[in-house]
Amino acid sequence: MQFLRETLDNGLEVVAECSEGAVSTSVGFFVGAGARDESEALSGVSHFLEHMTFKGTANLSADEINRRFDQMGASANAFTSEEDTVYYAAVLPTHQDDAVDLLGRMMRPALREEDFDTEKLVILEEIRMYDDQPPFGADDRCRAAFFRGHPLARSVLGSVESIEQLSVTAMRAYHRQRYAPGNLVLAASGAVDFPALVESAKRLCGEWEPGTSADRRQSSAGLPAASTTERIVRPAAALEYVIRMSAGPSADDEARWAAKMLAIVLGDDSGSRLYWELVDSGAAEHASVHHHDFLDAGLFGTQLSCDAEDAEPLMEQILDIYRAAAAGGITRDEWERARNKLSSRVVLAGERPRRRLFAVGLEWAHERVYRSVTDDLQIVESITLDGLHDVLARWPLDGPAATVFAGPGEASLSGSATPH
Amino acid sequence: MAKQTFHSATLDNGIVLLGEDLPGLESVAIAFHVPAGAINDPVGGSGLAALSGEMMLRGAGDRSGRRIVDDLEGAGVQWSQGVTTTHGSFSGGMVARQLPTVLPIYADILRRPLLDADELEKARQVVLQNLAGIEDDPSHLTISTLRRLIYPAPWGMPAEGLTPDVERLSIDAVRAFVAGNVQPQGTIIAVAGRIDWADFVRRVEALLGDWEAARGSDVVTHDRGPRVEHVPHDSQQTHIALAWSLPPYRDDASYDVNAALAILGGGSSSRLFTEVRERRGLCYSVSAGYHTHRDFASAVCYAGTTAARAQETLDVMLAEIKRLPGSIDQGELDRVKARAKSGLVMQQESSAARAGGIARQWYHLGRVRSLEEELQRLDALSVDSIERRLADYPVADLTVVSLGSAALEVPDAVSA
Repeated sequence: MQFLRETLDNGLEVVAECSEGAVSTSVGFFVGAGARDESEALSGVSHFLEHMTFKGTANLSADEINRRFDQMGASANAFTSEEDTVYYAAVLPTHQDDAVDLLGRMMRPALREEDFDTEKLVILEEIRMYDDQPPFGADDRCRAAFFRGHPLARSVLGSVESIEQLSVTAMRAYHRQRYAPGNLVLAASGAVDFPALVESAKRLCGEWEPGTSADRRQSSAGLPAASTTERIVRPAAALEYVIRMSAGPSADDEARWAAKMLAIVLGDDSGSRLYWELVDSGAAEHASVHHHDFLDAGLFGTQLSCDAEDAEPLMEQILDIYRAAAAGGITRDEWERARNKLSSRVVLAGERPRRRLFAVGLEWAHERVYRSVTDDLQIVESITLDGLHDVLARWPLDGPAATVFAGPGEASLSGSATPH
Repeated sequence: MAKQTFHSATLDNGIVLLGEDLPGLESVAIAFHVPAGAINDPVGGSGLAALSGEMMLRGAGDRSGRRIVDDLEGAGVQWSQGVTTTHGSFSGGMVARQLPTVLPIYADILRRPLLDADELEKARQVVLQNLAGIEDDPSHLTISTLRRLIYPAPWGMPAEGLTPDVERLSIDAVRAFVAGNVQPQGTIIAVAGRIDWADFVRRVEALLGDWEAARGSDVVTHDRGPRVEHVPHDSQQTHIALAWSLPPYRDDASYDVNAALAILGGGSSSRLFTEVRERRGLCYSVSAGYHTHRDFASAVCYAGTTAARAQETLDVMLAEIKRLPGSIDQGELDRVKARAKSGLVMQQESSAARAGGIARQWYHLGRVRSLEEELQRLDALSVDSIERRLADYPVADLTVVSLGSAALEVPDAVSA
């Protein structure tokens, strides 16, 4: 395993984790463009732009892009989050140049109006698809409440209204600003020919006008400002879905590793306190808590799904579990098991170049650091039981939180009722 | 590419052991497949396999249910338990050195489950909660309805069962099911990754070699469902699924029909993706694929779209299905081959994918195909061979399921 990097004259960063013996190569562009970079009027533009990037360049049609990826047998796709847009392809090593060439060209899309109009329909279908599925928009609503007044409050998909009124001109301007070389990382993992990667990057991206973006961090101290509870009513839903967000350490806080381990102890999908009390007993379909970190914010997200009449009592029970942990602490056994689980996850995920691509690319894009699988394992080993207790004390899980219920339950809570 | 090495062994009691070395990996994945799937559920007792699988984890040998999970997770095992149409499955991925610690836990689960009556209601609630969750998942519900129509019962039954049946299942039924079906005859244990084959066989032999065979419950095949069904659902999108019968995986024709389906709806340059999504913007997801049991298989096409545009989506899908025979072009075939080959090679990076893959092949074929053989079979595909198979297996008796606010118009005769 070897880490290599180079910065082009215009500011584009090229990084790679090269593993001898890997049978595949993964490459991707990591763009600092996500929901947090949008204004109200532009809500959903990062994700829409991600789709438009596949619709062709001045010299390349959408069909040609799709055919070229399939011709090289690529497993290629893209995703957009609150903070990033990521385009990637996993290919056999012989196709590294092809894959980088195509992805690189795609970063300068034509953004044609007729494509924009057709793709808008697809985006609207995607919004409706997610709105029909659990948790029925509760995640977006909860993030909006938790981050009220902070850029992270925005929805990645946007709304039907914001997408309908979005113009291609506004998207072009957004693209010019966010896809500047200083805001992009080209990353690769697996069987990487690094000199060829840099060669490709220079040829494809070297002429791009230099540019960078302002620091995106904005203090999230004191969030959420107040505890809120909202309800989304879906009369036909079989279960009630609850999302709760409370404060946690952000990506620039060393305590985030301990926060992730604490979440494993309290609310991992199996073998955790929530699992034994709520899931194993058949009381809930699902109950978990995970730690999420962003550049300038962090949160613990609790998820519950269960029969509607049980939702409120079970949320109370979950808060009791959090209070008991804060008062009585985590046991040595729990801490050791969580360490073993986390170490094993690091090793298993580390075997897939595709998984490593996202870790290497995102860490470089956000922090300009590289951590190998060995570095990650050392971090896991260094997390102490006291570290877990420290997180419990500094970010009480039963503290101020945004909570959203979605499902058939009656609108009996203090929050405003929302028609379907 | 490193040389691929397979191993297989059959114990005296019938257990089949399969192994694949994946050089360069630190992990090992293991999968136990016991012949206790949904097809073994009695009539009116669907969900028994699912409930039994859930019960088996709730205590075995000297271990409580809690101990089982704590012991697995203490060893860093990423475990899962589930039921398919044909098998009950227990699998785990871990750092290779943990395998010897973990095998005795699985041996307890298979041979000495406590099936404690006190655990039954909790386990039943878990199965029922899972079923309720599926009710909220429109695409899952659509495909599951389609399978009930295209395959004869019990092959098309949802593996997780039906709520009214699950509510009635008793502890005696669970005990009888486990005693009859969780047995060595028909059990496949597959391991892939960093393995020590000789050591693995010796350990499994010691743990499971004297496990005695049971009779196994009979599988009675019934009629299949109607050809067209609409499921009313309170959703903005209408979900559409289409299926028709094809030869199963073990038939040599499966490579050709699989390639034809990939051309129809397998990648982003496929016909359905191009015509339905790229040209018309009718939906976000649209695809075609191949689904196989041991004795029968089908083509499955799926799309989810706004109710107002559902009829147009169905019409475009039907037109593309109808246009397929006689229109395959070499470029399309080349792309399908490239994607399939690259997928096969990249599987070598995942111990879990390989453990699952070799077990599936053994179940369908009674042997494991090497990567080399698979690549050769892909190379042998030609436009002619695919067109011949499409002529041999024309699209006939299309089954159509829609789920959403309004039913769709399905043309009476849809065949090529």
